[in-house]
Amino acid sequence: MIIDFHTHLDESWIGNKLMPEQTFLDLMNRYEVEVACIFTLEGFYGNCSMHNDNLAERARRNPQRLVPFATVNPKLGDQAVNELERCLANPLFRGVKFHTWLQAIAPSMVKETMIKLLKCAAKHNVPVIFHDGTPPYATTFQIAALARWVPAAKIILGHSGLSDYIVAAGQLAGELDNLYLCLTGPKSGEIKFLADTAGVDKMVFGSDLGFSDWRMLPECIDYVLQSGLHPQSISKIFYSNAVDLLDLKRRPL
Amino acid sequence: MLIDSHAMLGKENHHSLEERELIRRMDLHKVDKAIVRPMGSELIVENKLGNNRVLANGSRLLALVSVNPWFGDSALDELKRCYDSGAVGLFLHPARQGFFPVEPIAIPVLELAFSFRWPVMFHTGTYIYSDLLAVGEVARAYPDQLIIAGFGGYADMWFELPDLFDEVENLYLDTSLLFSHNVISVISKIGSSRILFGSGEPRNNYAVHFEALKRHSLSKETISAIMGDNAKRIFNIK
Repeated sequence: MIIDFHTHLDESWIGNKLMPEQTFLDLMNRYEVEVACIFTLEGFYGNCSMHNDNLAERARRNPQRLVPFATVNPKLGDQAVNELERCLANPLFRGVKFHTWLQAIAPSMVKETMIKLLKCAAKHNVPVIFHDGTPPYATTFQIAALARWVPAAKIILGHSGLSDYIVAAGQLAGELDNLYLCLTGPKSGEIKFLADTAGVDKMVFGSDLGFSDWRMLPECIDYVLQSGLHPQSISKIFYSNAVDLLDLKRRPL
Repeated sequence: MLIDSHAMLGKENHHSLEERELIRRMDLHKVDKAIVRPMGSELIVENKLGNNRVLANGSRLLALVSVNPWFGDSALDELKRCYDSGAVGLFLHPARQGFFPVEPIAIPVLELAFSFRWPVMFHTGTYIYSDLLAVGEVARAYPDQLIIAGFGGYADMWFELPDLFDEVENLYLDTSLLFSHNVISVISKIGSSRILFGSGEPRNNYAVHFEALKRHSLSKETISAIMGDNAKRIFNIK
């Protein structure tokens, strides 16, 4: 059984229709994904509130399967904080997603607001996942800095360094108690290094399902299965670490 | 003949692969030949050691040798030695070796490799130095030569792939790190004649690639081209 910590479920992205909700759910069933954390895509560019409401509506239709993560625009200052408070007051929302590359802002450029947003997430005890691995606004170092700014916040590197930042991602997640790794991108030969460096308890599975072709899901599953990790470790990555990060034992879906 | 066009030997950070272990993995997955290049210090500074490592493996492992262009004349001498020793191509890693693909420092090395009729594979995917589009510019500057985009711009240059390969007809794609649908997006645009299956071992692995391949409905001809025929042709493999 799998919890997919990194997916996108939206109508479209820059003019292209995305995977319909039913197809998304069918794929979850086919690959034994019990729960998916769902993010926007189009909402990274504007009208976050509408996209957050859309995510909540999808979760309302599938309350045991889809877990919405809210997105806000940190360039809007307190308006963004208010929007995040609005979303997290809704018990359906269990996390926050930022994509500072697509949102076109380095976290340090809006540090005051980012700290408020992270404190808000920490107050609600929900994780905050960021795209990482891409300069100039989403390097792994830029995202790890956020974990230092607000130690009470649970920060997740959404791609564990993606490609060029793998070593840094492992080192930083090993060093910072509140920095976690989502395995959307690292290949089999890198996953064992991340486990050895950061600790397997810091790792969750992600596939980017919904963002592009459906085959990303089985390919990401295979990366983990072929990593050479012990089955018990794989089971933690696929499921139980996500249960802990989402606090599902205390707050079941 | 099943040919892996991009595997790595040696050690770099957490990656490590010895010749014997690669052969074992090839046997397990029925891979006939692999084009192997050095990594780590043997790619960046100790080129002779790395080249000897990839040259010393008989007929199943074929050498994609490397020199750091900043070593000037000694780099050229090393390339000549490799040519005499049976290497089949040149690998350059602009980000690790510290040059921009279009900088003059790379020209003597490139032109010597071209004089050997070698394909040249560049590492691509790391912003600035290993920019996929910069490698595209090298291919445009030498339209009669074969340039391979190693790693296919992975991770975040995937959106450049279809149009770039459509425009630059002497540019080949190494699939070793790409998600399979990114490879299909290029095949849909240009066909299969410039696609090279690469495993990316030890970073990626054969099992993941072969499972991914099964999820696509590719024709026998396409599979045959990608998995061996194209490599056989451009690396002149008997």
